[in-house]
Amino acid sequence: MCEEAVKDKKTTERDDKAVVEGAATALADRMLLPLLVAGALLASLGFVLAFTTAPLVVGAEADVPALIGGQMVTHKLLLSQKIFFFHVPVAVVSFIGLFVMALYGLRFLRQRDQIYDLKAMVAAEIALLFIVMTMLSGELWERFEWGVWWTWEPRLTTYLILMLLVIAYFILRAGIDDPERRAVFASAFGAIAFVDGLISLAVTRLIPAGAHPVVFRTDSGLPPAMLVPFILTLLGMLLVAFGLYRFRLRERRLHQQLDELKASYENQKGMH
Amino acid sequence: MTAPGERVDNSPGDLPTGSLGVLPNNLSNNPPAKPPAKPPAKPANNPPTKPSGFRQFCVLFNRDIKQELRTRQMLSSMGIYALLVLVVFGAAFAHTGPVATSGVAAVLPAGTPASPPTSPGISLISISGGLMWAMIVFTSLLGLARSFKAEKEADGWEGVLLVPLDRSLIFLAKACANLVFLLVVEAVTIPLFYVFFLSGLELAASFWLVAGPLLVGSAGIAGVGTLLATLTSGTRGTDVLLAILFVPVIFPLLYTVVAATTAALVGSPDMALDYARPMVLAAAYDLIMLPVCWLLYDFIVST
Repeated sequence: MCEEAVKDKKTTERDDKAVVEGAATALADRMLLPLLVAGALLASLGFVLAFTTAPLVVGAEADVPALIGGQMVTHKLLLSQKIFFFHVPVAVVSFIGLFVMALYGLRFLRQRDQIYDLKAMVAAEIALLFIVMTMLSGELWERFEWGVWWTWEPRLTTYLILMLLVIAYFILRAGIDDPERRAVFASAFGAIAFVDGLISLAVTRLIPAGAHPVVFRTDSGLPPAMLVPFILTLLGMLLVAFGLYRFRLRERRLHQQLDELKASYENQKGMH
Repeated sequence: MTAPGERVDNSPGDLPTGSLGVLPNNLSNNPPAKPPAKPPAKPANNPPTKPSGFRQFCVLFNRDIKQELRTRQMLSSMGIYALLVLVVFGAAFAHTGPVATSGVAAVLPAGTPASPPTSPGISLISISGGLMWAMIVFTSLLGLARSFKAEKEADGWEGVLLVPLDRSLIFLAKACANLVFLLVVEAVTIPLFYVFFLSGLELAASFWLVAGPLLVGSAGIAGVGTLLATLTSGTRGTDVLLAILFVPVIFPLLYTVVAATTAALVGSPDMALDYARPMVLAAAYDLIMLPVCWLLYDFIVST
């Protein structure tokens, strides 16, 4: 649904790039702070619910069954599973960020409007932020539940590769001075990176790596008590990501305008 | 637009075309912008009819091969580099015990799956597939970086871009040339690898199946590598940047071909799962990534 919003904004923005920002963009920019706050609140609410209403997940069998609170408990209850409510929404958002990056890259290649390159770059920044959050939260889970800091498990591997690809994207940008060339090359690489990320995901899953057991359960049907906080957090994170994206985009554009003003001022001074 | 210093900008200010169509009027758009380009080692004929795509491809391809045969710069540096990698591997495994380093490993019964490490040393067969690919990846990185350095130094690239060619043909020719170089280097270094590390060990009967991943993997490396080498050829810190882009992008392919190579060398009881499936995935990587690179090449070269 965030995608839709992005797309709407995009179409409105094409007409008014030279002029002052159009009414729709201005409105969106005014709504940004409330949007960001709403996202943060939603995500927080999701966390609270995750800890209050969502049941604990039954983990491995306990060594010694114990009587807790009048109930015979034979399995460990995983409090650490609560990471799921942060980890998965953040991961989903990071992938959407990559998708947006690739999309704007292709759009730039078609229309050669620098604004799309800027948008792709900002989307990549947001994607990198969320990828890092995904990896950090995953790291906590891994250390706590699997007892290792790192293992070449399919999803971990994919995310490591995604992170490297996005970092490579920025290093590539930093290596090129000419803005036109930089935009074209970065857009092309962004498209490759996204396709490569998808392939990486498929490949690492389809080829079992060594003897490592697949610990993840793919709970396709979450019970409502867990689904609600999950959805809330996901929505909240999407809003936060979108808000951050717009803020950063506005900041970059203002920066560019400032540079242009400075340049024209210098020119005028030189003429007098 | 912003003229990048004194660099000769080849493309007409606007993007020439959005599609992969033939770009016949690239020349006519800005002939006075630059001195006549140095003849790019090919007859600058202007016949009334355009030569066919295949002929254009042949000319471009021959140009790369001929240049390499004259200088032998790329092949020799790749070969020597691969040898050096082997030496490093030799040092790395010098102390892993008798099984890994000497021919005593015949104690390993043939066809034993290598998963449980034998006690005195590690089983080199099970990691040799990975080692081989490590060597190939590093060697190809070197070759790919070189393949464009020569173009830039001799300004041959400018000449090629000035010719009204289908841009995607340039990609095809360059990638094919790089593939040929890579295969030539592999033909030398992989027997060397065998001599150094595997000659004392008993390979599975299916070892000849290694040719499959080698071909598919090399094709992917050459194709993706050619695109990335073009991307990085005009940037600061070309060589490092190429490695930074190349390794993550090639990772899925590497993952699959190492799996297939290892299965072929070790001899898996279930070849359909351990060999055929990675091979299908590697081929799928090629089939997806190579057209993507091919499509994007037009944009990159036109800038």
